[in-house]
Amino acid sequence: MVINFRRFVIVLTVVWLGLFVLVPHVLVLLTSVMSPDPQHLAVWPLTLNSWGRLLEPLYAEVFWHSLWLSTLTTAICLLLGYPFAYIVAKLPGVWRGLLLFLMIVPFWTNSLIRTYAIKLILGNKGLVNSLLLASGLVDEPVQLLYTPFAVIFGLVYVLLPFMVLPLVSSFGKLDGTLLEAAHDLGAGFWQRFRLIIVPLTMPGIIAGSLMVFLPAMGMFYVADLLGGAKNLLLGNIIKNQFLVVRDWPFGAAFSVALIGIMAVLLWLYFLANRRINRAGGLDDESF
Amino acid sequence: MKKIPALLAAVLMAATTALHAEEKLVVYNWAEYIPESTLADFTKETGIKVEYSTYENNEVMYSKIKLQKGKGYDIVVPSSYLVSKMRQEGLLQKIDPAKLTNLKNLSPDLLDKPYDPGNEYSVPYLWGSTGIGVNAKEIDPATITSWADLWDEKWQGKLLLTDDVREVFHMALKKNGFSTNTTNPDEIKTAYEDLQKLMLNVLVFNADAPREPFLAGDVNLGMIWSGEVIMAQQENPDIQYIFPKEGAGFWVDSFAIPVGAEHVENAHKFIDYMLRPEVGQKVVEELGYSTPNMASKALLDEDTQNNPVIFPPADIVKASEFQQDVGDAMKVYDGYWEKLKTGK
Amino acid sequence: MMKVFKWSFIAAIFAYLYLPIAILVINSFNVSKYGYEWKGFTLNWYAKLWENEALAQAFLNSLLIATLAATAATLIGTLMALALYRYRFPLKATSSGLLFIVMMSPDIVLAITFLVIFIALGIQLGFWSLLIAHITFCLPFVVITVYAQLKGFDQYLLEAAQDLGASESRIFRLIIFPLVFPAIVAGWLLSFTLSLDDVIISSFVTGPSFEILPIRVFSMVKVGVSPEVNVLATLLLALSLLLVTFSTLLLRRKH
Repeated sequence: MVINFRRFVIVLTVVWLGLFVLVPHVLVLLTSVMSPDPQHLAVWPLTLNSWGRLLEPLYAEVFWHSLWLSTLTTAICLLLGYPFAYIVAKLPGVWRGLLLFLMIVPFWTNSLIRTYAIKLILGNKGLVNSLLLASGLVDEPVQLLYTPFAVIFGLVYVLLPFMVLPLVSSFGKLDGTLLEAAHDLGAGFWQRFRLIIVPLTMPGIIAGSLMVFLPAMGMFYVADLLGGAKNLLLGNIIKNQFLVVRDWPFGAAFSVALIGIMAVLLWLYFLANRRINRAGGLDDESF
Repeated sequence: MKKIPALLAAVLMAATTALHAEEKLVVYNWAEYIPESTLADFTKETGIKVEYSTYENNEVMYSKIKLQKGKGYDIVVPSSYLVSKMRQEGLLQKIDPAKLTNLKNLSPDLLDKPYDPGNEYSVPYLWGSTGIGVNAKEIDPATITSWADLWDEKWQGKLLLTDDVREVFHMALKKNGFSTNTTNPDEIKTAYEDLQKLMLNVLVFNADAPREPFLAGDVNLGMIWSGEVIMAQQENPDIQYIFPKEGAGFWVDSFAIPVGAEHVENAHKFIDYMLRPEVGQKVVEELGYSTPNMASKALLDEDTQNNPVIFPPADIVKASEFQQDVGDAMKVYDGYWEKLKTGK
Repeated sequence: MMKVFKWSFIAAIFAYLYLPIAILVINSFNVSKYGYEWKGFTLNWYAKLWENEALAQAFLNSLLIATLAATAATLIGTLMALALYRYRFPLKATSSGLLFIVMMSPDIVLAITFLVIFIALGIQLGFWSLLIAHITFCLPFVVITVYAQLKGFDQYLLEAAQDLGASESRIFRLIIFPLVFPAIVAGWLLSFTLSLDDVIISSFVTGPSFEILPIRVFSMVKVGVSPEVNVLATLLLALSLLLVTFSTLLLRRKH
């Protein structure tokens, strides 16, 4: 029984991930070194041409832009989500469940019509501008839609629950007596926050940040609709290569490179994190 | 011993015929691009059940058909440039004109175009154009006559362009007197350099439906599709359509049968049904796109028949160029597109 | 003072989350198709939806697939998190690496690779292919959430149980499961949300026999997204709120 359960869990993990993640991505890797062909998507012979093209400075620029957007989104989500999760986690059970559920329900509406609704808020004749005009704060509508502000507004909207939910479960574990003890010993709020609360909720912070940051790197739909698609993001380039230009080897090389760079970043991060406080999410053993 | 496989085969045959007892047809198309009631009427009349599957753009449809080697669907509705591509790659099968009794209803102006000479592989369903949209309340439509007008400095940060490489290049290519289907790198480069100047004027590349920003009042000038104007006018009649004098971009969405289709016979029946005059009439009335079906056009009310947005004058159509696949030159286009969008 | 501040913060976050939803709900009763201005009250869209069998079917299919995918992903993901946390096994590092890869891979890459694999395995495109794909892209979110919860808790508890002779499956059922339950719920909710709204991957891996809502909605852009979609959103919202009020009342009575 002992062996059975353990073996079952391990086999399930390895087989599922191997079949549905590893094999496909090996194929992607293989595609990335094949030659493009307008009629057959990818053909022999093997070549590193696609990889060479990645070095064009234009793509570095796109990478930085995506990285910047994702980082900013993650930071804002953390800034809003952390106190929110803290307050919610301290509520009595029924209320906690209720608020968390209410927080996720908006995301069960279709993302396209939700984005249209956001446009109705930010547009020139939208809610915000109507209020601003009516209050006399401005004489002309302020351009909010199709600006970087709108992009961040939309990205934070979509990703906030991915920050909040792991944080709340992490706060739920926080031992109240520890904080009381610290308080009794004369620790001020900031001291308690920095020395107890943050380190103990670190796994939640990391989990939440990963779940916001990583998907944000590949996202482009929100940015296209709300930002006016004036800047390219990594996701745009990959989608274009696969669907519009149909240079599959280059698209594949691009996406493998993206995953590789992110993996290195993550690994460095976990390394540093382990040095500092030995309390990571999925730690560096992962790699 | 030989009898057993024979018997098995017989049983299998019986089983498959039993399965096919319910006749069906698998259509792969945009959602609601064929009125629900039309599908229901078709089933009522022929007993053929329609499975209607949807895609959000041509590219997804193409990739899926390509990867499945043309199997899985009986009818697809590719735009003109994809018809040429899919045809060349052997993803479509020939349509038998002898089975289409209503083919004669189609306007010759829209048949036998370079994307599918002789219409061997495609039958036009709906068509339209990409021109200039303007909100007449804010901008006098008479002042806008050409693509070149969009380059005017006074539109800085005001324009809407569609988020489509080929359509955006169409404007600049036409403005410089080139073909929209050019594969000449010098011509594409000239267009690119022209577009660089236009970028300052762009407020938004619209990735979904250009009518939305017009209706919301976020833009008053830019590219738009003819069908979108018709839809927009139901909400706001001030949205008007202009055929730029250098030439609007024209496209046709056509019925085609993938090479691996299982219900070829039913697919022909369906196409023929869709070509009936009263069916085409209903489609235009519900969707607002233009029909290539002259018999259907004759059934429409005067206003619709004479609406130049839906049925542009014959000389405009005759002179127009339809988008075709440009093969490897797509890489050249996209390279410049990436540069435009990263501000280079 | 602190309390006022706290509740206004919570209220502000909820206002941010619900403002677009409120607009959706209002527009489901709006005569205007595009909802840029209020043109009068109507129940027309509700009636239309009632007749729109294809849309309703796609909606039900979506709910079905999201429920099943979230449940399966939560089950499998919890076990995976356990394996990564507790057991040493070959390919462990690779496994967690693969989970990150799923999160980082752009949708279109996942979509195409899934399709290639399903064709190679001879899996018919439709319900099952869709379910497998959805489970797979939800997995990392469950694993990370549950793992983060496992990370913090008392090792000694598990060791004690082990010393007392409890089997692995018993330890899981009686100790680990209840302790990580909040994370499991969170993982389920995230998976359900992700699955309910996926477009690109679903477009590639589903077949003609199984249409889901997001594909249909994005596809409607060609002829104009109908306010019937707002109606669906409103109905689902109403149903969720009803459900939650009901269960809250029930829980209250129990306490």
